[in-house]
Amino acid sequence: MAPTPKSIKLAAGGNTLAVEWADGHVSRYPYQYLRSRCPCATCAGNARLPNAPVPGALPIFGVKPLAPARAELVGRYAVQIFWNDGHASGIYSFDYLRGLCPCDECAARTGK
Amino acid sequence: MPDNPNSLIPQVRYTIAVASGKGGVGKSTVAANLAVALHATGAAVGLMDTDVYGPSVPTLMGGNTAPHVIEGKIDPPVEFGIKIISMAYFLPKDEAIIWRGPMLHKTVRQFLGDVRWGELDYLVMDLPPGTGDIQLSLSQTILLTGAVIVSTPQDLALAVASKAIAMFRKLNVPILGIVENMSTFICPHCGEREDIFGHGGARQAAEEIAVPFLGEIPLNTAVRLASDSGRPIALDKNSPNGKAFREVAEALVEQVRLLSEQSAQGVKIQ
Ligand SMILES: Nc1ncnc2c1ncn2[C@@H]1O[C@H](COP(=O)(O)OP(=O)(O)OP(=O)(O)O)[C@@H](O)[C@H]1O
Ligand SMILES: [Mg+2]
Ligand SMILES: [Zn+2]
Ligand SMILES: [Zn+2]
Repeated sequence: MAPTPKSIKLAAGGNTLAVEWADGHVSRYPYQYLRSRCPCATCAGNARLPNAPVPGALPIFGVKPLAPARAELVGRYAVQIFWNDGHASGIYSFDYLRGLCPCDECAARTGK
Repeated sequence: MPDNPNSLIPQVRYTIAVASGKGGVGKSTVAANLAVALHATGAAVGLMDTDVYGPSVPTLMGGNTAPHVIEGKIDPPVEFGIKIISMAYFLPKDEAIIWRGPMLHKTVRQFLGDVRWGELDYLVMDLPPGTGDIQLSLSQTILLTGAVIVSTPQDLALAVASKAIAMFRKLNVPILGIVENMSTFICPHCGEREDIFGHGGARQAAEEIAVPFLGEIPLNTAVRLASDSGRPIALDKNSPNGKAFREVAEALVEQVRLLSEQSAQGVKIQ
């Protein structure tokens, strides 16, 4: 069974998005971290360094800081994040999202 | 404001892609018969042939009305109550076209956005074989409800089907289930059943990879004959294959229901 969230908080403070999972685990994703791991065909096709900024998401002066404008569920599998930089083709499957959890516990388990 | 990917077809409730790992396993046959079987449940159904290389839906569904183009919008022909669109309507006969990625993408968008589908419960899409540009284009253009994977018994053993499944999983398209086609052989002479490739293998393989099993369609000459004459076998309720297709359609409806229920159960987004 794929992991399922109970709730997704787009603005969980400190530029993070938080997901509370059905099993009680809470994942906190820094926006930049999540944006740079966009799984869409355009982004995923480009080799990425961990934490490397995505084109169009460079923190240039005068540009709004990166944040999700909104998000929509896709079936039961995924959430589509509409970033405020206009990029919205990223459909993050819950499986993928859970695997991205940067907490120590998960990082130790996945060996990332 | 970014485009909602489903804004192209706001009146279509569920979009179902019929796919397979390799060619010739009966995708088009299953797509057409599922469309007929879904329509028989009282649902409004469309059938979109996305196989621009070898469009076969118009042959399967009979009829020879061409689509009307009115004010830049395409009025799809209706056969057996099902709205149909196919590249076959637009291609000059016996002329090969070399399709390039952007052209494919544009065609897919047009088949969705420029066709007067009206209100539909299901839009069934017949895909070309394999894991190519059309599959990618489709899943980028709309949020597919899910994919139905057609497989023959021997392919399940050979894991050809899992290639298609892996692709859809990567594209975050839910797998609605596997249909095993050409499973039991029904002798056209005596009606006796015979398992040429072994029985129950598909069900087991589906279980192993945690994909719903939608049912099996017997190998039966009557299927091909019905298709060749432009009258899908599912129209014939009493034939063994017609029954099998209706059962698969029922299982599919149930999977779609489960899927939308689970997503409607609602993850709270704040
Ligand atoms: N259950 C069946 N019993 C007998 N014949 C069948 C059955 N299913 C499909 N066929 C026949 O097998 C052939 C291939 O089927 P079909 O064209 O549906 O496959 P396909 O997967 O769409 O092929 P392609 O990959 O070329 O698009 C057709 O002649 C069809 O009539
Ligand atoms: Mg076909
Ligand atoms: Zn992206
Ligand atoms: Zn974690």
